[in-house]
Amino acid sequence: MNRILSKALTGALLMVVAAACTDLGVEPRSTVTDVNVFRDQASYRAFIAKIYAGLAVSGQQGPHGQPDIEGIDEGFSQYLRLYWELQELPADAAVIAWGDVGLPEMNTQLWAVNNNFVGGMYYRVFYQVVLANEFLRQTTEAKLTERGHTSSALRAEITQYRAEARFLRALSYWHGLDFFGRIPLLTEADILGTLPPQRTPTEVYDFVVSELNAILADLPAAGPATYGRATAGAAQMLLAKLYLNAEVYTGTPNYTGALTAASAVIAGPYSLTPVYVNNFLADNHTSPEIIFPVTQDGLRTRTWGAMTFLIHASIGYNDGMSPGSYGVDGGWGGIRLKPEAYQLFGAGDTRSSYFYTPNHTVGVAALGEFRNGIAAPKFSNVTSTAAPGSHSQHVDTDFPMFRLADAYLMYAEAHLRGGGGNATTALDYVNALRVRAYGDSTGVIIAPQLTLDFILDERGRELLWEAHRRNDLIRYGRFTGSAYTWSWKGGTEAGGSTPDHLKLYPIPANELIGNPNLTQNQGY
Amino acid sequence: MRRLHYFMGALVALCCIAPHPLHAQQPTSTIRGRVTDNTTQQPISGATVTVGGRGVVTQADGRYTILGVPAGSDLLRARMIGYTLVSQPIMVAGGDTLVVDIALTGNAVTLSEVVVTGYGEERAGNITGAVTQVSAEEFNPGRVISAEQLIQSKIPGVHIVDNNEPGGGIAIRTRGAATVGAGNDPLYVIDGIPVGIARGAGGGLSAGRNPLNFLNPNDIETITVLRDGSSAAIYGANAASGVVIIQTKSGRNRPQFEYSGTSSASTVTRLPDMLDANQYRAAVMAYGDTTQQNQLLNANTNWFDLVNQTGFGQEHNFSVAGSGDRTTWRLSTGYLDQAGILRSTELQRLSLGLNLQHRMFDDRLLVRTSLRGSRVFDRFTPGGVLSNAAQMGPTQPAFDSTAPTGFYDWPGNRLTSADNPLAILALAKDRGTTYRSVGNLQAAYDLPFARGLQANINLAYDVTRMDRVTFTPSVLHSQTKTGNGGSDYRANQSEVNSTLETYLKYAVPFDVGPGRLDLTGGYSFSQSAGDYPWYLASGLTTDVLGGDGVAAATTVQNFRDIQESRLVSFFGRANYNVNDRYLASLSFRRDGSSRFGPTNQWGTFPALSLGWRLSEESFMDNVASLSDLKLRFGWGRTGNQAIPNYQQFAAYLLGDAQSQAQFGSEFVPTMRPSSYNPTIKWESTESVNLGVDFGFMNQRVSGSLDWYTKKTSDLIFRAPVPAGYTIGNYVWRNIGTMRNRGVELALSAQALSPSEGGLRWTADFTAARNSNEMLSIYPSAGTTTVLTGLVAGGVGTFIQVLQPGQPINSFYVYQHIRGSDGRPIYEDRTGLTNGQFNGTPDGTINEQDLYVDINGDNVINQDDRRPFHDPAPKWILGHSSYFTYGGLELNFTLRAYLGNYVYNNVASNLGTYAEVTRGSPYNLHASVLETDFTTPQYLSDYYVEEASFLRMDNITAAYSFDYRGQPVRAFATVQSAFTLTGYNGVDPTAGVNGLDNNIYPRSRTFTAGLGVRF
Repeated sequence: MNRILSKALTGALLMVVAAACTDLGVEPRSTVTDVNVFRDQASYRAFIAKIYAGLAVSGQQGPHGQPDIEGIDEGFSQYLRLYWELQELPADAAVIAWGDVGLPEMNTQLWAVNNNFVGGMYYRVFYQVVLANEFLRQTTEAKLTERGHTSSALRAEITQYRAEARFLRALSYWHGLDFFGRIPLLTEADILGTLPPQRTPTEVYDFVVSELNAILADLPAAGPATYGRATAGAAQMLLAKLYLNAEVYTGTPNYTGALTAASAVIAGPYSLTPVYVNNFLADNHTSPEIIFPVTQDGLRTRTWGAMTFLIHASIGYNDGMSPGSYGVDGGWGGIRLKPEAYQLFGAGDTRSSYFYTPNHTVGVAALGEFRNGIAAPKFSNVTSTAAPGSHSQHVDTDFPMFRLADAYLMYAEAHLRGGGGNATTALDYVNALRVRAYGDSTGVIIAPQLTLDFILDERGRELLWEAHRRNDLIRYGRFTGSAYTWSWKGGTEAGGSTPDHLKLYPIPANELIGNPNLTQNQGY
Repeated sequence: MRRLHYFMGALVALCCIAPHPLHAQQPTSTIRGRVTDNTTQQPISGATVTVGGRGVVTQADGRYTILGVPAGSDLLRARMIGYTLVSQPIMVAGGDTLVVDIALTGNAVTLSEVVVTGYGEERAGNITGAVTQVSAEEFNPGRVISAEQLIQSKIPGVHIVDNNEPGGGIAIRTRGAATVGAGNDPLYVIDGIPVGIARGAGGGLSAGRNPLNFLNPNDIETITVLRDGSSAAIYGANAASGVVIIQTKSGRNRPQFEYSGTSSASTVTRLPDMLDANQYRAAVMAYGDTTQQNQLLNANTNWFDLVNQTGFGQEHNFSVAGSGDRTTWRLSTGYLDQAGILRSTELQRLSLGLNLQHRMFDDRLLVRTSLRGSRVFDRFTPGGVLSNAAQMGPTQPAFDSTAPTGFYDWPGNRLTSADNPLAILALAKDRGTTYRSVGNLQAAYDLPFARGLQANINLAYDVTRMDRVTFTPSVLHSQTKTGNGGSDYRANQSEVNSTLETYLKYAVPFDVGPGRLDLTGGYSFSQSAGDYPWYLASGLTTDVLGGDGVAAATTVQNFRDIQESRLVSFFGRANYNVNDRYLASLSFRRDGSSRFGPTNQWGTFPALSLGWRLSEESFMDNVASLSDLKLRFGWGRTGNQAIPNYQQFAAYLLGDAQSQAQFGSEFVPTMRPSSYNPTIKWESTESVNLGVDFGFMNQRVSGSLDWYTKKTSDLIFRAPVPAGYTIGNYVWRNIGTMRNRGVELALSAQALSPSEGGLRWTADFTAARNSNEMLSIYPSAGTTTVLTGLVAGGVGTFIQVLQPGQPINSFYVYQHIRGSDGRPIYEDRTGLTNGQFNGTPDGTINEQDLYVDINGDNVINQDDRRPFHDPAPKWILGHSSYFTYGGLELNFTLRAYLGNYVYNNVASNLGTYAEVTRGSPYNLHASVLETDFTTPQYLSDYYVEEASFLRMDNITAAYSFDYRGQPVRAFATVQSAFTLTGYNGVDPTAGVNGLDNNIYPRSRTFTAGLGVRF
């Protein structure tokens, strides 16, 4: 009996061993993979939506969670927040009170090569680029055919999406070019896993311009149905930006191009909204003036960056400002005006109507003190009918990355810089803004007053805190050097001269280590 | 599959070549008998009995049988480590059976103790790795909730860090940290069951506290730690941080009931040093403005006094155990209820355990089962209680009868004002329940056709179900000030891990060359399946349901995550022993893990160790007092796979309903490709250990000294990648190398010998030094430093760094210039011209006024930080003393750390007058009285404090007596009796990473208990 049992036991044991296997095949179940994701045709839409959301939120969970980029606080890492900080803080427009590592230096142009906000922006730019490239790789004719996605409606939709992906890639490349100059240029032809080479600014510029011109016909038409998406108007606007700054980027000016592109925008279906501040409120998606927004929604598009940051950080908690009147739950006490920005505004200009002066000084004696510097809650989470937004922490207010007024001012500037066009038209455009600003003709200027200096100041008034200032000052040759100094430029309250290499931000030190193809910008 | 066939083929071949007992040409005899201990008369198992070239090992009952002894006279030898060799002449005639019983005289019997190792056991004296076993009588006494605490300070090189909360998470570092980015927990093997493999090496799922809380420490017989690579490598992929083997108690002798019960009371030892009401008022009057000053009231509230409590606890353990001829069994149940020293903290455990062993088929088959199940109910002190107790103004009252909640809150509902911690305690809920059962069925079968060959099978399961509910009502200040409304979070998660192991053991029944050979070889298959959904509703329409039901909500987030992993292993070991004098062990393991891409799934982990017992050599005979001297060498490679699943897959992650993009009037949920790394490969740790074991005077004084170095290569870390290289800027990748080096000393002495009824004193000492260094970060990794150590204060403030040439997690701070009085200076010294110091005060106090310009570029920015000390103790010293006198016992354990540093984050975050200029002023840390900071200086080295300490971990007094013939033991213990330290924060053992940020305070626990047997 025992013998039989023991043999049976031995046999069973060996069988168990033999039945066991070495199969390690385990695949994700609650996430989708590249194998199955495009079985659902809706995935294309979700993917292009992500590239847009890359500008608006910080990750796959709102307001935070599953961040897109790492190594920096997720709220800090948000694209628009970084973009805004890099355009406004080192210029004459804004100071931020907080002492977070790397942030105070942004107020003063004293950033370290390792500055984490500068690095964050660099990685945001390339995150968008890589997403767009991946989208383009996944939506080629060959791939669509291979998956049997041949319906003409879907093909038409994807043609638009592809153009939009290329627009978003061009937009980020423009930001990269503007901030960093010599950057790598990756397209959908570059497979992942290779270290990209560095390109000259001219090469990047040429690529972006050719991309934009190539997609103009494929982009969706402007209108309420495509609000939030890139249209031909947005592409023309971006072209105008590139051409206007062409001399900075490539050494060769192209003001004619700038004027032409700006004219194309102006010829589009856009018009000035009658009330200036309505461009910056919780219902600004209804403004006919906005050409390309970064959209926000208190319930459905949430982040700790973008407009949540811009609105909360503009409000103090200790100075009598009432957060409720801006539709939010509290102020973060962060950003306010540098005195030079405040002093641009004349009496009667309603574009400064939202400034909050009680308990604030005009001068900024201490960067860390919110009450030093005038508060400027330009953006607000209440609607044009004074109703609060849908949520008191996360806001409904969209960011007008491109709006018509900017096209007017670019037209006038391109004209003054020799780009052709018509002097009367230029003056009319500027006065259109002035009339709206003053509510009557008191602000109207006459032809001799329309100078380049006037345009720079007018841009400072009209486009205050809309993330244009550093770019404008560089084009005017005033961002660095001693031609124009402002409070805290170079690290002192009086302001001083700064070296020219600061016109470009440093390429993050880690990039230089990890990618031997790269060399640092001069001066760093 | 093919691989497996080869392997099994090899095993079978091994069995076949094993020669059967020698066939004699002429009639032979049989010798049998029993080997016993001369002093105790107890049988000795595992003794080697040889005649000529034939040898056998005695069974559990001490019996042996040698077959086929040729006729003639010969010498019968019986040998057992720790005993004097016995040689006895015998004379056998052909065909008869001789009975020879042998009594051995012990000279160092501790060497013959059985120590559990990976897939086997070994005599203490024959161990060639760095292995320490601690048994129940040496365990730390008092209120112990989790197994790890039992061996704190008992084993050199094993650094155990609890988080002070009852049942809270415990980290173990064996010989320093073995990794930076993957899991650092050792592998726990409970009764042969590797637990928590789903998460890498150790742990498992729980509702928030230590996953090992399911195990009742009272059921544990021994805990063995495999510290070095050579002993741990048989567990390959999970062994890089060492292996902790836990054996539970089983029955002995006649059936016996046992009861032990304790009651305890815990009190808080130290709290953050905040300003009192008068100091706070003075600070607000000096630095606040009228907005803040007008808010001050006239109360005198010590907020910490209101949130802490005396934590009472009780524990009852009941077991019944026994053994018979064939069956050994133990059934136990335990109940523990322990309140924390913060209000609302509680842990309740109900546990059940069964161990059963049965021998059958002429003792050829041993069947064992170990089953343990428990329900752990956790109540957590809701989040924010400690930080708000620190921040809340002491001039403000706790209660306000006019408020809707009855609790006082700062006026104005400001976003930045602190919340009343008492209101949080009263209204918010945070609780979890964990059901966990771990069990196995093991069979060991001595195969009938080959003597010495044993087949083993081990089928194990580990099932956990946990529920966690966090409820925050809408009326709480934290919710009203943000307008978020009430919120209800629940997670209902489950995990099933199962393991199948089969292995053959072959104790070669004859001498191979001059020594004995033991072989082990086998196969292991583990898999894990987990389902982790969670649900978060915020903006609840009503608080009435209190987290027990689902109320409609403004925002509902749902998430479900399914995780599966597998680990397949082949392992083998050969032990070779020449007369207990020359010892060698060779092991290998080949592991395949589902966590790596197809090209890198398999890793090989070999190990070799050698031992030379010098004390067995004849030239040592004249050193009479020497009872043991052994040199050990070990080399081994271990692996680490404690990284998240699926990193090699190109996955797409869906966005939630709050991260959508707007297309016209529509909102489109998003989807993004995730970063992935198809080439991610094993992290491997190679270690070398040199050791010496020594014993004098029959082991009255014994100990060991070890030197080791271990180098971890291909460190797996979520690390930056150059832009454009992959999707995203971080990915799991192999980025660098790290080294730990150190020495360990263990010394045990029976300082006063056990004369009859007299005073007996045993003293144990341990000392361990470890130094850690990050050796390199691969140049292609795109970084030379990785910031770690996120602290409170500012946003995204990282205070530590991984940098080649420095210990990992070194603090990364500015060097604060000190004044002549030693205080950090805080004055305006210089302004800037063109971004460079100009030496002229500019009216504001900035970084440039305070810190040393490390890189000499005449400006202070983040490039001027430098690595400055690190949190790991350089030396860990332990001392335990055990005194007995008659029925009286007195034990205590002392512990000291030298050279550990802690970042005092409460001081850095609240030690600045800027905090009173909040909308409603925060209370300040008392360090502000010394520093006068009016702006926060998070990155100042002033906050990095040396935290060396000496602590009396426990003192126990006990009295044992007989009551009506039954043994009774009454005892009392004080844990954390006192701590001597220069550190100013709450606790110098502030977590593994040395960040003291409103950590759970340490408690001093008084326990009294009674144990009876009948």
